[in-house]
Amino acid sequence: MFDALGMGAMSGVIEPFLEGVVSGTATTLAASAGAFAIGLGLGIVLLLARISPFAPLRSLVVLWVSLIRGTPALIHMLIAYYMVPAMFDISISPVTAGVAALACNTSAYIVEILRGALGTISYGQRCAAYAMGMRGAQVWRHVLLPQVIYRAIPPLTSEFTILLKASSLMSIIAVPELATVARNATLQTDLPLQVFAITAAVYFVLLFCISAASRVCERRVSRMLPHGH
Amino acid sequence: MAIDFSVVREAIPVLLEGLRVTAVVSLIGIPIGVVIGIAGAYAAQSRTLLRPVALAYVELVRNIPYLILVYLSFFGLPKLGIGASAMAVAVGCTAFYTGGYFCEILRAALRSVARGQTHAALSLGMTYWQTQRHVVAPQLFGFLIPPTTSLVIMMFKDSAIFSVMSLPEMTYQSNLLTANTFAYVEVLGTTALIYWLSSVLLAGVGRRLETVVGRRTRTPDVVPLTTLSAKGKGQLS
Repeated sequence: MFDALGMGAMSGVIEPFLEGVVSGTATTLAASAGAFAIGLGLGIVLLLARISPFAPLRSLVVLWVSLIRGTPALIHMLIAYYMVPAMFDISISPVTAGVAALACNTSAYIVEILRGALGTISYGQRCAAYAMGMRGAQVWRHVLLPQVIYRAIPPLTSEFTILLKASSLMSIIAVPELATVARNATLQTDLPLQVFAITAAVYFVLLFCISAASRVCERRVSRMLPHGH
Repeated sequence: MAIDFSVVREAIPVLLEGLRVTAVVSLIGIPIGVVIGIAGAYAAQSRTLLRPVALAYVELVRNIPYLILVYLSFFGLPKLGIGASAMAVAVGCTAFYTGGYFCEILRAALRSVARGQTHAALSLGMTYWQTQRHVVAPQLFGFLIPPTTSLVIMMFKDSAIFSVMSLPEMTYQSNLLTANTFAYVEVLGTTALIYWLSSVLLAGVGRRLETVVGRRTRTPDVVPLTTLSAKGKGQLS
């Protein structure tokens, strides 16, 4: 059956591709992790703006979330790589544009996740912290933020898997990640079925492992959190 | 920098033509996907060999990027002797992906309808399908509508990926326009705006449906025994 799919003929040409898969996977993981870290930082800033007492700031975040969630990630890539440089007359490398687009994309989802997590922390804790003489920033730093992040871990890991899947879109702007490696390999070898099946398998294993880790995380977190609040 | 509005004016009809293709793909693909999802959810509930098949299908959909699925179908299928047009592949991919996600949504909704109700209906002498039809299904919609709205918006947005196989949908038209005019700001800005407005519209429709269905299927938490028996008589006889 393998020979029917041309596996015999492909052993010679497939080796360079398999080497590419390793570097492509590394790029995919690094870019996704980087974009997620930036997105998380951005998400925290957006969360603070989203719940600030200053109404225009809140509306801006609502608009940002709506705009990002209402447009395709592919368009974010194109905007970051073509439109932003044209607007400001600068040049951006594909990797920078790709990571920036992914980070902006994920920030809109992360801010909603964090807001949901913040909603589960009882208001009394904030009052108690103020009553103990903490200032606003201290309340955030020592009381609220650790709990928000902690409670948000399960949805954040599932957001990371979505981000990792979306990172394949960086191939549109030629970032040398896994999907790009696969696309180039099909052009060189004309074995799209095998190449894309292998690529799909690599993504599957990566994402499946992350999802499994996320489920373990979720169980741990739900066991350690107090019930009720 | 200045925005050239004449470019925007010229781009809009072309982009809307692309939006029509996007809409056609979604309107055919998503309903097929929903049917697949329903079959998948009931298969996953069964105790036959269909169960692992359905679960494997859901895992495949959840763990493979859409772009890779599109590449695999568009470039790989012809090698298996299945020649399909870009349109057919787009509809197929939409249905395949929607099916997996809808299966998950439906499974969660089925779990949300209290198990006790199914047992009660069965003990009243209803058959399995009568229970599904009269007890479970009417309550499902309330659970189904919010996540299904998100799913429809997601599939609508992700159709942008079909531009990689030159299906003349909106992103492809946008790419052609930018390649010809280099008016990235105007064209990409307009494209993003049309996507955004469409998504906002779809989300609005979803919310509207939610309130309509919510009004129709709202049941009080505690039903007095007298009304329950009266209702029961009226409905079951």
